[in-house]
Amino acid sequence: MTLLKADDITVAQGGTPILHPVSLHLEPGEPLVILGETGSGKSLLAQAIMGTLPRDLAARGRVVLGDHLLDAARPGGFRPLWGRQIAVLPQEPWLSLDPLMRAKGQVTEAHHLVRGMTVPDAGAQATADLDRLGLAEAGMRYPHELSGGMAQRVAIAAARAGGARIVIADEPTKGLDAARRDEVADLLLAELARGGGLLVITHDLALARRIGGRMIVLREGRVVETGPTATVMGAPTQAYTRDLIAADPENWELRNRRPAGAPVLTATGLAAGRGGVRLFSDLSFDLTAGRILGVTGPSGCGKSTLGDVVLGLAPPSAGRMSRSAGLAPTAFQKLYQDPVAAFPRHRTLGRTLADVAPRHGEPQDRIDRLMPRLGLAPVLLTRKPDAVSGGELQRLALLRLLLVRPKFIFADEPTSRLDPITQKQVIDLLCETATTEGCAIMLVSHDPELVARTADHVLSLAPAKASEPDLSGPRVKLAGHLG
Amino acid sequence: MTDAVMIPRPAGLALRWTGAALVAAALVLALIGPLAVPGDPFAQSLIKALSGPEPAAPLGYDHLGRSIFHRLAAALRLSPAIAMAAVLTAGLAGLGLGTWAAARGGWTDRILTILADALLALPGLLLVLIVLAIVPGTALGFWAGLSLVLWVEFFRLTRAATRAVLASPAVQATRLLGFGPVYVFRTHIWPEIAPMMLTAAAFGTATAIMAIAALGFVHVGMRAPTPELGLMMVELLPYWREAPLALLSPVIATFALLLGLTLLAGSRDT
Repeated sequence: MTLLKADDITVAQGGTPILHPVSLHLEPGEPLVILGETGSGKSLLAQAIMGTLPRDLAARGRVVLGDHLLDAARPGGFRPLWGRQIAVLPQEPWLSLDPLMRAKGQVTEAHHLVRGMTVPDAGAQATADLDRLGLAEAGMRYPHELSGGMAQRVAIAAARAGGARIVIADEPTKGLDAARRDEVADLLLAELARGGGLLVITHDLALARRIGGRMIVLREGRVVETGPTATVMGAPTQAYTRDLIAADPENWELRNRRPAGAPVLTATGLAAGRGGVRLFSDLSFDLTAGRILGVTGPSGCGKSTLGDVVLGLAPPSAGRMSRSAGLAPTAFQKLYQDPVAAFPRHRTLGRTLADVAPRHGEPQDRIDRLMPRLGLAPVLLTRKPDAVSGGELQRLALLRLLLVRPKFIFADEPTSRLDPITQKQVIDLLCETATTEGCAIMLVSHDPELVARTADHVLSLAPAKASEPDLSGPRVKLAGHLG
Repeated sequence: MTDAVMIPRPAGLALRWTGAALVAAALVLALIGPLAVPGDPFAQSLIKALSGPEPAAPLGYDHLGRSIFHRLAAALRLSPAIAMAAVLTAGLAGLGLGTWAAARGGWTDRILTILADALLALPGLLLVLIVLAIVPGTALGFWAGLSLVLWVEFFRLTRAATRAVLASPAVQATRLLGFGPVYVFRTHIWPEIAPMMLTAAAFGTATAIMAIAALGFVHVGMRAPTPELGLMMVELLPYWREAPLALLSPVIATFALLLGLTLLAGSRDT
């Protein structure tokens, strides 16, 4: 029996269609993946199916949920089904749990209030749910005492407590590293195995591959391709899907390794910590012009702290960081994970860039010459940072750095918030910068595939261990030959 | 689900315009009133004591036969002028010290914060009274005392906002690009705190006007015969039955001015 069937769902904003008719159906035991980049309308589709669209957007279409027939244009009708028929796994679930309530209480409350069980029954059921998810010990903990993965499991237990058979997960792996991403995928599949339906919305190809089932590829509000996930990803028939698959780091070509150039920086026996926890110690490496050093490791292992030390923003607790003689103080630059946060909020991008050029003796027309090279339209300069897409803004951030003619760029997860095609563009530009500007780059990423295919050598940091602060030094793994 | 639902706030804008209109009306009365109807706020004519409005005195006369209209216009120039001077001084001091404390941190920050907290613990009116007793000249004393009370608010706002801004990646990026503190202040800190400063300035002006009137009302502020809002109220209070309009004029003027300033400040929805 089909769990959910949606016919000709459209979404329009003030008469302008932003999602063209899409139909989908969800079968028990078979996940459905909606894949698309930012702005493709994939979240809007999910919101239209749940009746949670923002007020200024109007949906049309027909949704059949079990034995209910609903009109997408009247979102009020969906409300009684939330939690009972259809559950949403929120993005970044550790932010959606009540910080003042113990884990078990949050699940108990859902059983009690949504499903209408008595409090003792709800409590017993919550204990059973948490046991099943391997959280028997965690029931009495508050959200801040849970790891990200545990919080996610608590959130899924609470989301499903109302008896919903359909789970909708919107970007469930946003901001997670590879290991955690697989953990979430396995968790969702385990829930699916208990019966019910699963709808996953993502731009993450690795997650899509792991979830399997069927797939809908969306672009600019239109369906590009549909079919079984394995088929679509193995043999895409549409040009856009092919580009999308090719943009997956797993399918990138290996970058040609560069010969060693002039030395830029040398680190000897570096150590640093944060909040009393030793993050890394005895770390030695050197970097020469034109080369890329990849840095990988799980979240919280000290990648950003290493960047601060290398950039001279924080002192190392031991060891020495030395820049080559004769480099300008501004020769070391940083590319940020969230480009919106790296620009002054209230200034147009054009003004910000125009401030930088003269300060470093660069003519203003260098901006105009760099814009097309980075694939940027001049109109972007009239906008403020929040009115530009993430990919464009990251390229503008790179442009801003290039105005300074840097010798070293610390790129801190520069593409973790971008979709695959944009990610490939930005990384390609970064590699090109290393080559043409003779710039040394430290590229931090949680994606081992991306680093392996881009960097000349790789530094992988081990997770910081709070209990045994001084034992775990980093393992320096060298891919290829060190100069 | 990440899209926040935007709720338009026409009410907020309307309130702000109402506030601006009230303040503007008070200022028009203060500045243009005496030009339209010439007269002297100190000229006495005991025959006309407590008599009603007439063309030369549109709001009637007080117990000494002075034109309420002209005294009110003078009072509405005096209090706001002192208040605005005090707010300007306090704003500049708070802005400077707050930015300095946030930028330097350490002992500078700690000492300034302790000083601000200590001043905050004292009742504001008491502090103004103490300064009034020390500083010669009532207007000068009010200015000094009110500045001393009001800078704390500006300091705390500036310090809190500046600390957050200075810790942001945007400022780090700007510094890495080789820009100095002046540029950081101009492009990052000022645009962030300017709206807060304006709100605090409007509230501060209202607080100052209120303080001057309150001290005038209990006979420890401005001295007679200076036309001052609080003083006018207390002088006319005994004659409320004979000349209700005379008493109501300063009350309504004070109320309108304070309400206007509060609406101007408080309805900012950011």
